[in-house]
Amino acid sequence: MSKTEQNKDRWIIDEKTGQPIPPMEQPGYYPGYSTLSQKAYWDATTRELIEKRVDHPPSIRFFSSEELPVMRAVADRLVPQDDRVEHRKIPIVNHIDERLAKEELEGYVYEDMPVDSEAYKMGLKAIEAMAQELYSSSFATLDPIRQDLILKSIHDAKPMAAQDAWKHLSVSRFWALILGDCLIAYYSHPWAWDEIGFGGPAYPRPYMRLEGGQPEPWEKPERRYEWRQPLTSISDVQEEMGGGDHPRQGGTH
Amino acid sequence: MNKPLLGKFRKPQTGEKILGPMQRISPEMQRFRDDEVVDYCIVGVGAAGGVLSQRLAKAGFKVVGLEAGPFWDTERDWVSDEKGSHELYWNDLRITGGNNPLTLGNNNSGKGVGGGSVHWAAFAPRFHPSDFRVYSEDGVGADWPISYDDLKPYYELLEREIPVAGPAYFPWGDPHGYPYGPHPMGGVGDILVKGCTKLGIRSCAGGPVAILSGSHGNRPHCIYRGFCLQGCKVGAKASTLITHVPEALQYGAEIRDRSMVFRVSMDKNNRTNGVFYYDRDGREHFQRAKAVIVSGYAIETPRLLLNSACHGHENGLANSSGTVGKYLMAQAGNVVAGRFESLVRLYKAPPAHALSEEFYETDPKRGFARGFAIQTVGPLPIAFAKQMMAAKGSWGWGMRRIMMDYNHWATLGVLGEILPWPDNRVELDHRKDQWGIPVAKVTFNLYDNDNKLIEFGKNKVEEIMWAAGAQEVSQEKRFAHLVGAARMGSDPDSSVVDKYGRTHDVSNLFVCDGSIMPTQGSANPGLTIQALAARTADYLISQGDTIFTSEKREMTPPPIRYQLSPEGTFVHGVPRLSFAR
Repeated sequence: MSKTEQNKDRWIIDEKTGQPIPPMEQPGYYPGYSTLSQKAYWDATTRELIEKRVDHPPSIRFFSSEELPVMRAVADRLVPQDDRVEHRKIPIVNHIDERLAKEELEGYVYEDMPVDSEAYKMGLKAIEAMAQELYSSSFATLDPIRQDLILKSIHDAKPMAAQDAWKHLSVSRFWALILGDCLIAYYSHPWAWDEIGFGGPAYPRPYMRLEGGQPEPWEKPERRYEWRQPLTSISDVQEEMGGGDHPRQGGTH
Repeated sequence: MNKPLLGKFRKPQTGEKILGPMQRISPEMQRFRDDEVVDYCIVGVGAAGGVLSQRLAKAGFKVVGLEAGPFWDTERDWVSDEKGSHELYWNDLRITGGNNPLTLGNNNSGKGVGGGSVHWAAFAPRFHPSDFRVYSEDGVGADWPISYDDLKPYYELLEREIPVAGPAYFPWGDPHGYPYGPHPMGGVGDILVKGCTKLGIRSCAGGPVAILSGSHGNRPHCIYRGFCLQGCKVGAKASTLITHVPEALQYGAEIRDRSMVFRVSMDKNNRTNGVFYYDRDGREHFQRAKAVIVSGYAIETPRLLLNSACHGHENGLANSSGTVGKYLMAQAGNVVAGRFESLVRLYKAPPAHALSEEFYETDPKRGFARGFAIQTVGPLPIAFAKQMMAAKGSWGWGMRRIMMDYNHWATLGVLGEILPWPDNRVELDHRKDQWGIPVAKVTFNLYDNDNKLIEFGKNKVEEIMWAAGAQEVSQEKRFAHLVGAARMGSDPDSSVVDKYGRTHDVSNLFVCDGSIMPTQGSANPGLTIQALAARTADYLISQGDTIFTSEKREMTPPPIRYQLSPEGTFVHGVPRLSFAR
């Protein structure tokens, strides 16, 4: 059995046939759409930045050798990429590591939270302690479904174990921090833009079809497929987070 | 590879700043020596500081603007990218707390020349006449020491100067029209108008927004790419960086960037004589000045005043009333997201392009004071994903699934008036920033009237979303904008500055930015901040040297100086619909 076949239980499932769908070059409903194919029409500064993001993901400097496998496993569940072929997976952890290594802040720290780098260290430790307490195993080597169960309890702000480790860290704020950072890393990548049909950079070449959701000449029409989450996952639900207010938003108005 | 559009990137000449594709400035900048006594030292070159430095320099004063962030070159420094625009925001350490802690950073805080006007969505509605007398009319909040009519001429001036595009007839508040035509509609605006129309709610399309619908001077019109909050590389969206700062330089002002002011200095006669700051290399300097204007916005302004405590001002400079840092306001900014069967592509067109102010005023039937506006918003993928995290609790495969439908969603924002409360405040924390300066600690709580207003506003916008044909609706709690924390008033015991922005305690120290607002209405504050700055500038100019030499406080309104508008921007033409009032 090939390595890919072994992971078959992690594949998403075709809603119509009930069969697992093998990983794709480009998941999402816009097959053949490529924002990077348009980079000649982007301004030079933007083009250099995006090319660097794709071609030269930053190397790991912040996470320790104990933290790194836990962080990778957590990111794999928070934004799963099992429907992507290996060479088209977006290196989420590297981009988070870069921010933490540079001690980049986002302009605020909650009064009941340590600075972000410290919060990561405490949170990853707590997640690992949960895995050890519940399953006597490292979080990184647990079945995906057990990883999901642990993470779901953090999402609900009711960690199912290692209460002591969570005593000094707000569970819901940590959830919003780590998930928010994973979302920044994933949805800032052109492959994710192709997946969701986002237009990408648009200067100096502009958009010209504003109304009715019409595609630009270089965009592709939507072609949907029906899928459900893999048998080994429980994250394809929409349930409110626990813990009251949980902002961390960018600007809107 | 296809040929790059517009050819190869042109290497700029040394010292040249590119401000959009048509505007290049070679700021042969005046450089004042530290020991040279300038007339006005302006701390913070944002929405207010940009307008002040342009007007005061044009009137012949020696002006230095000290800005903590960089002097941008929009072509080389900015990107058409959500994550890559991180540097536009005030990212330094601040502590946020209270029962409803505010998200700071990219939500509401700018850094660099232009300040927040660089990353605002540029909705530019005026305040309503009722906003200036909230206490008299509703018994809550506060009255302003000025009326709408005092500010109206400056609204009209700024609507020409920046300029504002919008409908020829804007029906709310003091009805008026706009000098530049409305923008074409994007998918989200269509949904706002459709939903409002179904429910019999008046709406307006294509503005008012400080984005060019036709080219203006050396700025091209909008290209509808939707990256307004990431800084407008096109130069179509107004920021003081491109609307006022170039002329400030032309008239001899110096904008000294990457200069972090940490203390306002006082002499023995209870007058300020300049400011202490760190330059880009961390070296300490003292800039002498005959008068100081603090324009650091609602967090940095009170922080600087509190950090400037000295003999005679033990609780912070200009704080004899104890109100510095208090009455901080943010607006309710709940975002309602609706999923539609057909494609919307919410990222196209400026996020700000349609609104309704039908619920702006107090309606006793609703059971709370004041009201809210309804506006289009256009979150790019990261912002939208984070909204879904908060609104629906999405993560994992659930998040991937929602985001694959990004193009099916539309988002509308509530913009609700939260009242000024003394406990919503900025204080100093024991923690320090990279300069060793104590950082701001921001505390924010919602009260009964605020909660009722938010609940009503959120429900109303959800109703509009359903009426527009959404199949699924969900909402996210959030806040937008910041004002207050150094409020103006006639009574020195309950306010920090007088109606011209002069501190009650120190006669040559002024505050001019969003922090002086006593209440905030349901209008985006950007235009009002700039109008207040133009008014303060007129006052200072009319006072001449009196400000520098005397303790006298002239309180008669200054004449309006129309000739101070940036060249080529003043003409008659903001439609006055006086019959409607």
